[in-house]
Amino acid sequence: MSSAVLEQFRQIGRDLFVAGVISSHGGNLSVRMGDRILITRRGSMLARLEERDVIETGLDENDANVMLASTEINVHRAIYQGTAAQAIVHAHPPYAIARSLMCDEIVPIDSEGSYLLHKVPVVHTELTAGSKEVADLLPRWLKDYDIVMLRGHGPFAIGHLLEEAYQLTSVLEMSCRIMTIADGFSEQIKEYRKGSDRYDTW
Amino acid sequence: MVTPPDSALRPLRGLRLDLSQRTSAVEELPAEVARRWLGGRGLGAYVALRERLYAVEPLAPENLLVFAPGPLTGTGAPASGRYSVTGRSPLTGTVFDGNSGGMFGTALRRLGWDYLVVTGALDEQGYVTVGLGPSAESFDGPGGVCVHSAGELRGAEVPVALARLRELHPASEAAVIGPAGERGVLFASIVNNRGRSIGRGGLGAVMGSKRLKALVIGGRGEHRPPVADPERLAFIVYEAEKLLKANPITSTALPEFGTSVLVNVLDQAGALPTRNHRESRFEGAAAISGEALKRDHVKRRSACRGCIIGCARRTEAGGQSGEGPEYETIWAFGAQCGVSDLTAIVQANYACNRAGMDTITMGSTIACAMELTEVGLLPDGPRFGDARAVLDLTEATAAGEGLGAELGYGSARFAARRGRPELSMSVKCLEMPAYDPRGMKAQGLAYATSNRGGCHLRANMLGPEILGVPKMVDRFATLGKAGLLINLQNLNAVLDSLSVCKFTSFAMKEDYFARQLAAVWGEPVEPQELLLLGERIWNAERLFNLAAGFTRDDDTLPDRLLHEPVPAGPSAGQVVDLPPMLDEYYISRGWDEAGVPTTAKLERLSLVEAAADAGVVPGVRRHAEAAAGDGGDAVPGSGASSGDPVAASGQEAGS
Repeated sequence: MSSAVLEQFRQIGRDLFVAGVISSHGGNLSVRMGDRILITRRGSMLARLEERDVIETGLDENDANVMLASTEINVHRAIYQGTAAQAIVHAHPPYAIARSLMCDEIVPIDSEGSYLLHKVPVVHTELTAGSKEVADLLPRWLKDYDIVMLRGHGPFAIGHLLEEAYQLTSVLEMSCRIMTIADGFSEQIKEYRKGSDRYDTW
Repeated sequence: MVTPPDSALRPLRGLRLDLSQRTSAVEELPAEVARRWLGGRGLGAYVALRERLYAVEPLAPENLLVFAPGPLTGTGAPASGRYSVTGRSPLTGTVFDGNSGGMFGTALRRLGWDYLVVTGALDEQGYVTVGLGPSAESFDGPGGVCVHSAGELRGAEVPVALARLRELHPASEAAVIGPAGERGVLFASIVNNRGRSIGRGGLGAVMGSKRLKALVIGGRGEHRPPVADPERLAFIVYEAEKLLKANPITSTALPEFGTSVLVNVLDQAGALPTRNHRESRFEGAAAISGEALKRDHVKRRSACRGCIIGCARRTEAGGQSGEGPEYETIWAFGAQCGVSDLTAIVQANYACNRAGMDTITMGSTIACAMELTEVGLLPDGPRFGDARAVLDLTEATAAGEGLGAELGYGSARFAARRGRPELSMSVKCLEMPAYDPRGMKAQGLAYATSNRGGCHLRANMLGPEILGVPKMVDRFATLGKAGLLINLQNLNAVLDSLSVCKFTSFAMKEDYFARQLAAVWGEPVEPQELLLLGERIWNAERLFNLAAGFTRDDDTLPDRLLHEPVPAGPSAGQVVDLPPMLDEYYISRGWDEAGVPTTAKLERLSLVEAAADAGVVPGVRRHAEAAAGDGGDAVPGSGASSGDPVAASGQEAGS
């Protein structure tokens, strides 16, 4: 693993924690390197990643390192196998998780979220962490959307780079915060976006 | 995603013109071909591989030219009024496509054709009309195809030919060659109305070898390109244009300055190749910048049909006027030749436009001559900084006179003949454009692995390495960027096949293109499916080149970039450490160490039969001995396939 790649893991991991979208040991990151993947270690603290916290293992085949990999390794593998993702960010943003408990899709009302997301599907499974069910379900959705919310658990975002996937995660959480604040006013929103009534068809 | 009820995904309807036999024939490719290859470049690669053009001499009558718009052409999608031309390049020996704006592609679709294939050669120089009514010299077959004597068009410069054809055939769109194409200059272009060029690889010379001065098609066809869900398309286009208007590259920089806005950006990064790539900053950059061009020469903006970016320019210089120059042209005649006289650069651009020649190869070949002069191998040759020499040699190349006759073969052959092949700044005989890989390392990998040679249009790492699109990466880092490059290569293959302008991808990701195509076809299209499709096209082109004799040894860069550190500036001391990048790239591509797609990769892309037909066997290092062919010129991959193709023509490769 090159120092540049490790630095990307360190920066994004630290930012996720500082932004409040993961707990001390929550979330996971990975990047694809051909037929290998680099993924954060099970139980690692994303805000304090060291070289030993980023595990290299096979994309299609297990090796000894799989013992150390994130509990979500099978989900990450399935996403890489089913999409053209080069990087994955999975976090636990509280406002987005709360919103996912109440709806089947998140349609932002703010400008940034509208531009970048239009809508984020909310999917659900019985077993939410590292399960085969999740591994089967998410890649199908991530073919059409770069970020998908797993109800009660958190979003999986993909990109060509970790930073892209992080941006989507960050924008989703900000959009959900704004929606929560707006909900508190109990007022009708004055629509400012032409065509926003079709965002649910995105 | 909503699925409209009625699919508009239909079989592709093509018209094949055999110039030798003077016949035309309708052919139809199944809708599955459209689904797998789209149109434009993808369709061209499909046809080129299926018809085994790798075994055909580029300037022989058997070489084909495939004129193909894409499924978005003429639909109202942003910047989609484009078409491609594909054939085997006489400059590189690779499969080669170029694409262009203007109205030609839309007109072709409105005639009801998804593509035209031109094969054979006329007995004497002429031009061909399609869909413009009968004449005494009609082809035997459908499509209203007629041949006309070149007459007064013989030797005519491009603007003259286009204007005269518009007079002769008022409701038409034309694709013509200039004197360079007639003369066989290996980097001659095909130019259509509005001065838009199919440049770089010399498909104009292929057209010239067919004695075809112009292809003129009816401009008032009544077949509207089918759109299954116009309302949905309008919604997606509105959302897409919001992004284009919000992005400062597509909303401000390109409209205000055109592509030449990059001169100062690349110079400040230490990635502006200067004096035949000996340096990477140019002391005259400000004088030839986009800002200077706007101040002193630009008269008005112009745009391809249906484009809201509008990066083109009408300019004036020294009493002449015309289109351009683009950034790469300013660089080629400017920094690469050490010239800071912008008027001369603009005029050299006009000269190329008149003659129908690629400006990048022309400028870089002159720069090669300048260095050969400096090292004493070209007595009385041109010297760096000599603006007059740049103009004179451009004119001489168009006319085939003096040293210009040699320059018309491009820098690789020219430098080889003068005994210093390493002084050609080219990859697979195609001159690299205006981005020095020593200042943006993944661009070196992009050039080395490009399927059509040293080219920024297969993938330009300018985005992630300089402009921060989609995100900024360390431009000097060697490893960890192969995946990013591959995605870009695959995406560009998709854009060239749709056919839309690559500049839209500064603001839009692949999902926007998938949604547009889904609305046009009326069928679900996943962004990932598009990228897989782009990967298929890329690998099909790779199979073609392997069958043509190219090997891993051809995936390289000029020795200068690998071993001569940049002498000064922000990239001082940098060289390109290519071998580890290439290893990472091959692994990420799913290719073996020889650069051959593995069986697993071919299966995933449904290319197993196509590979077998091309005689490409995974795991077997092949054709290394064939790479030195073509009469001793420095032309890689010129050996014809040693395979024995058996699959019947007309079947879909990989089906």
